[in-house]
Amino acid sequence: MSFSAILPPIPVALPLLTAALLGFGGKHTPRRLADAIAIAVATLVTCATIYLAIEAAHHPIVYWFGGWKLRSGVPLGIAFVVDEAGAILASTGGLLTTLALLFSLHYFDSVGALFHALMLIFLAGVCGFCLTGDLFNLFVWFELMSAAAFGLCAYKAEEPAPLQGAINFAVTNTIGAFFIVVGLALLYGRTGALNLAELGRAIGPTPDLLVVIAFFSLTLAFLVKGAIVPFHFWLADAHAVAPTPVCVLFSGIMVELGIFGIVRVHSAIFAGVLPVPGGLRDVFLVAGGITAVLGAVMAFAQRHLKRLLAYSTASHMGIALSAWALASPKGLAGGIAYLVGHGLTKAALFLSAGLVLHTLRDVDEIKLRGRGRSHPLVGAILALAALGLAGAPWGTLLGDSLLDDLAMKQHLHGFVIISWFAGIVTAAAALRAAGRIFLGFGAREPEAPDVGGIEGEAPETAPSPRRVPVPMLLAPIAALICGTLWNLWPPLRQSIANAAGQLADHAGYLARVLRGAQAESIAPHLAPPSWVHAVIPPLAALALAFLTLARSRLPFAMRRRAAGKLNIFWRPLRRLHSGHVGDQVAWLTFGAALFAVAFALLYR
Amino acid sequence: MSDDRDELDPGARGRTILFFIGGVPLIGLLAAAMVQLPRSGAGHSLYGDLLVGAAVRERHVTDVVTAINFDYRGFDTLGEELILFASVMGVLLILRKSDEQPACDDREDERQTRRAPPTSEAVRALGLGMIGVTLTFGLYIITHGQLTPGGGFQGGVIVATAWVLLYLAGDARAYERATPKPVVEAFEAVGALAYALLGFAGLLAGLSFLANLLPLGPIATAHSGGTIALLSVATGREVAGGFVLLVTSFVEEALAERAGSS
Repeated sequence: MSFSAILPPIPVALPLLTAALLGFGGKHTPRRLADAIAIAVATLVTCATIYLAIEAAHHPIVYWFGGWKLRSGVPLGIAFVVDEAGAILASTGGLLTTLALLFSLHYFDSVGALFHALMLIFLAGVCGFCLTGDLFNLFVWFELMSAAAFGLCAYKAEEPAPLQGAINFAVTNTIGAFFIVVGLALLYGRTGALNLAELGRAIGPTPDLLVVIAFFSLTLAFLVKGAIVPFHFWLADAHAVAPTPVCVLFSGIMVELGIFGIVRVHSAIFAGVLPVPGGLRDVFLVAGGITAVLGAVMAFAQRHLKRLLAYSTASHMGIALSAWALASPKGLAGGIAYLVGHGLTKAALFLSAGLVLHTLRDVDEIKLRGRGRSHPLVGAILALAALGLAGAPWGTLLGDSLLDDLAMKQHLHGFVIISWFAGIVTAAAALRAAGRIFLGFGAREPEAPDVGGIEGEAPETAPSPRRVPVPMLLAPIAALICGTLWNLWPPLRQSIANAAGQLADHAGYLARVLRGAQAESIAPHLAPPSWVHAVIPPLAALALAFLTLARSRLPFAMRRRAAGKLNIFWRPLRRLHSGHVGDQVAWLTFGAALFAVAFALLYR
Repeated sequence: MSDDRDELDPGARGRTILFFIGGVPLIGLLAAAMVQLPRSGAGHSLYGDLLVGAAVRERHVTDVVTAINFDYRGFDTLGEELILFASVMGVLLILRKSDEQPACDDREDERQTRRAPPTSEAVRALGLGMIGVTLTFGLYIITHGQLTPGGGFQGGVIVATAWVLLYLAGDARAYERATPKPVVEAFEAVGALAYALLGFAGLLAGLSFLANLLPLGPIATAHSGGTIALLSVATGREVAGGFVLLVTSFVEEALAERAGSS
């Protein structure tokens, strides 16, 4: 029996076992022991999933739990189908969990090992979600990930704001998850199957309303998780209140898995009956485009650093959703490159935000103006990571490059414009914050607009005398190094190509699971990233940030007029993002209806 | 009336309108899709038929649902058990402030004059009498899942109910003494731990994760089903511990608040 034949359950089972062990000690587990165990397990999971990614490069691994395989051609038990894309995303989750745990070594307010146990349970949920080949099992890991995430989000429960943010997060995401059950029930009622491949075979070639609504229901949960407009409201509230290491996981992998969930479910079940090019493409391109633009604008309007980064995440998820809608293996490759590249650079950004909170005791850009001058290294990391959002080589470079190239070939100039806009504006927003905090640029503006939402940010760490602890600095630097490798190292580019080839190969997936076939999927050829993307958007972002900070030098009349015009624009946006959970649910219902009606009309 | 509400919450009307604009077509489409499902009993499920046919023969169990939960799809149950585990941990995290600083609420002082009446003798006698019965019933459900409807999840909740009866029949202080939190925490964690370890046992035996290892035993006896019974007991332990822990946390929170206000 080869190693890869026993490895698939480990990334899920090992962290769960460890979490139960840490729970056994409860509050009495020594802090440093919990740190050591949790970091060791997260590292092991990362290594295991990287090994799986290497093994699955050409032949995805099918693993049957309990030894229950096919019986008369029908899957009896639960399968893990470890393909390249799933393994890559799971290893990203493992890496980010390791970095987040490393960063939280210096957090003072830790209730024994509860924090560590929840982080590991979250990681197990991420891995299970990425690797499973069974629809109900997918739901179980999705829920496990959410349950751990709600607890982690409310971690700083001594204050009222974290509770409110966590409630918004829990309510909207639970409504989303409920729709997975609806979709699952519809599909099971029709086909009597739960295995993804078996569903893909049993669902038949003709779309009717049941199939369309089932697809809609499954998608809705993932759209909520992926923070697509108008389901994005929870994102900023959750990120603003969650501890920084938790934000790393939220923005670095959880939201990405929302987009991946749509791709997985579609590629395994619906690719034959609801092909993307027929209609779905336009719906998702429009939704993605609106999300990318609104997210970028909202990010630019924030002064609370974590909230700013959260809106930028929504913007980037809009681009990732559009990437999938481009409906080609190359688009999928661009999407995977984009998701992971964004995850790594965003992790570095949140870790730098955590460093800002640690050294300066706040994350309000306006209040902190010029106060970061004594911490140039923190400022440099923040600015570098910010450039990654615009396509610097440690961020979304490869994804941007592949996607723009493909969109130009498909004559989707709008997509290219929006993706440049999103990258430049979100990066400029973070750069502006870095310039103001660490260089003291820009005028003093006590009444600068802060658009909407829950306020307040309490320090998470005990102040350290003068020097920043080394692990806290190492974590974001490691994320940036991994990001650079991801974008530039050719073997990884080949992995991305393999992953995209497998995801695009619906028939191959079915054959592998249902007949044990060893068919190899055709991987698209991916060109190395173009240097245009590595240079021009980051420079543009720098220029935009500088202009924003220097606008106090503009003639007074010009500023007045601009401010008046912008207010018409800000006021409704501010009212929209009220942070009221009722508003969020109303928008969720309204948005869900829009998607449902659009799908139903497309496949009448 | 509605004017008052609008003043308190200016977004209320817009929100309601938006909700209905979306909700009505959404429910319509969901209903239209559900109408297309096969009628109850008319549909056939290859998967369901296969499992129903195989469970008794292959697993020597007479409750097919338990065979599915703890064997054919036992990996789902591991995840579900941990969802409960994580949720309870989340509640413990959120309520942890009651451990350190009792919350102070000025309004509580006013309410002091309206104390809850002491538990009546009838409730006390009935509650204490029910505890033993409930506990026995819960343990029976946990351990006989492979024979009759039931299993760890259902039985675990019933066992936890016995503890709630203790709270109802006695009082909060007595309850707190009878359930030391660290012990309950450890009790719960062992349930989750045992499930995961039984999964690994399959791997170590050179089989799949969560593969059934033990002799299946004769049909319709308490020791039939092999690993199924053990997994069911592990789940029961986790569920009972989890629910007791939840109740305990809320009782502690209430006690801390009372202490803070007096």
